[in-house]
Amino acid sequence: MSAETESSAPVFCAAHMLDSWDERYPQAAFAELATATEPVRPDGTLVVAARQDMTEFLRHRAVRATDGVHFNLGGKRPLIPLDLDGETHRRYRGLLDPLFTPKQVARLAPAIRARTNALIDAFADAGSADLMPSLCGPLPTYLFIELLGLPATDLPVFLEFKEAVVRPVGATEEEQQANMRAAGDRMYDYLTTVLAERRAEPPRDDLIGGFLTTELDGERLTGQEIVDICYLLVIAGLDTVTSSLSCLLAWFAEHPDERRQVVADPGSLPRVIEELMRFESPVPLGHRWVTEDIDIRGRHFPAGSKVEVIWAAANVDPNAFDDPQTVDFARPHNAHVGFAAGPHRCLGSNLARLELRLAVEEFLRRIPDYGITPGEQVVYTNYGVRAAIRLPVTFPVARG
Amino acid sequence: MRVTVDQSRCQGHALCAMHAPDLFDLDDGGHAFVVADPVPCGLGEAAYTAEAGCPEEAIAVEPRRPAHAGQAPS
Repeated sequence: MSAETESSAPVFCAAHMLDSWDERYPQAAFAELATATEPVRPDGTLVVAARQDMTEFLRHRAVRATDGVHFNLGGKRPLIPLDLDGETHRRYRGLLDPLFTPKQVARLAPAIRARTNALIDAFADAGSADLMPSLCGPLPTYLFIELLGLPATDLPVFLEFKEAVVRPVGATEEEQQANMRAAGDRMYDYLTTVLAERRAEPPRDDLIGGFLTTELDGERLTGQEIVDICYLLVIAGLDTVTSSLSCLLAWFAEHPDERRQVVADPGSLPRVIEELMRFESPVPLGHRWVTEDIDIRGRHFPAGSKVEVIWAAANVDPNAFDDPQTVDFARPHNAHVGFAAGPHRCLGSNLARLELRLAVEEFLRRIPDYGITPGEQVVYTNYGVRAAIRLPVTFPVARG
Repeated sequence: MRVTVDQSRCQGHALCAMHAPDLFDLDDGGHAFVVADPVPCGLGEAAYTAEAGCPEEAIAVEPRRPAHAGQAPS
């Protein structure tokens, strides 16, 4: 990103406006926001950052995912299910939730391990690597392509698309939105073409095959519905896991004692990953719209308000978590909202957890001893999602 | 001791089933339900932990944990 775009681009998150903001260590600013009284952005956007306000706010029936005009992430139509509400939303979640339960996603475990190892093979003998382009970036995209049943050669289509949507280029918000929509249009076209090809083939046992044969209230999904669902899965499933994995591997690179604990006890990883998802909060925020005047825990939200809901702040709220700035793998209970909360809680969280767990487990099995390359440092972005966009590591090469 | 999951609140975070599989399982849609009711001997602490660890405040344990017992949700 050029200096010019940085100076005039819209501020992504209320926490970025605080003096305590630090790209590398944003948790301090998020904690400040979590304990602020009724935070509001200068443009009037209301901010919900306290953990204890969040659950009640999100489940209120007047709190909606969109205002019916603004759709998320370059969508020209409402993303299914992210941009839908109420009964329509429940119907689609009823269709999609069963596809992403822990039991359903568990069958992807061999593919996840195999793909992780294939990517590690490419740099294991080098003794150094930038883990973003060599592992974190491609892994979720490869797996997603397998899940949908698309050719692996289409990898660049997805990598280009997600970059354009998650970190749109442009000097103004209008330019960014236009570039995002253009990338979105290319993805809609790609998915429409794929779907037409798949309709002409015998049914296959993958997600698109499932969407082509499944029924919602006794009717087959339309082509547009399938395209809209796939668009959402692409945008929600690629950069989030990439970013989360980069945060985890960066954290372990800089915390050797904790890393050795995990190497010695891989069975602890599910709990470890939940704690790091709390602390790192790779998806920092979401937006909601309020459709009528409501009061939540003494705070008034007028009808028509746009609200910035900051998961990353809630996750380090000292009123909700003991010593929230400490990563504590033995934290007795951890009601974090790293996968959001309320009706739009992350559909793919169980797949994300599985990918993160197996990728970290395989990486630490192959490369238990690694650190940030001397003279280099981790470069984080916190725009759109938090990610270690530059993650140069060095490690001893295993012999024999 | 009784533990319940409010199905209208559960959003399928699955943390309860991950940490206390003897008390909770997930249905075909990924939402939690109680598999051991009343709470068996020795799982009382796990029930309170699950209650405090539910992001949707969907889990309720009766009787309430005594206020002096430390980890009670605030």
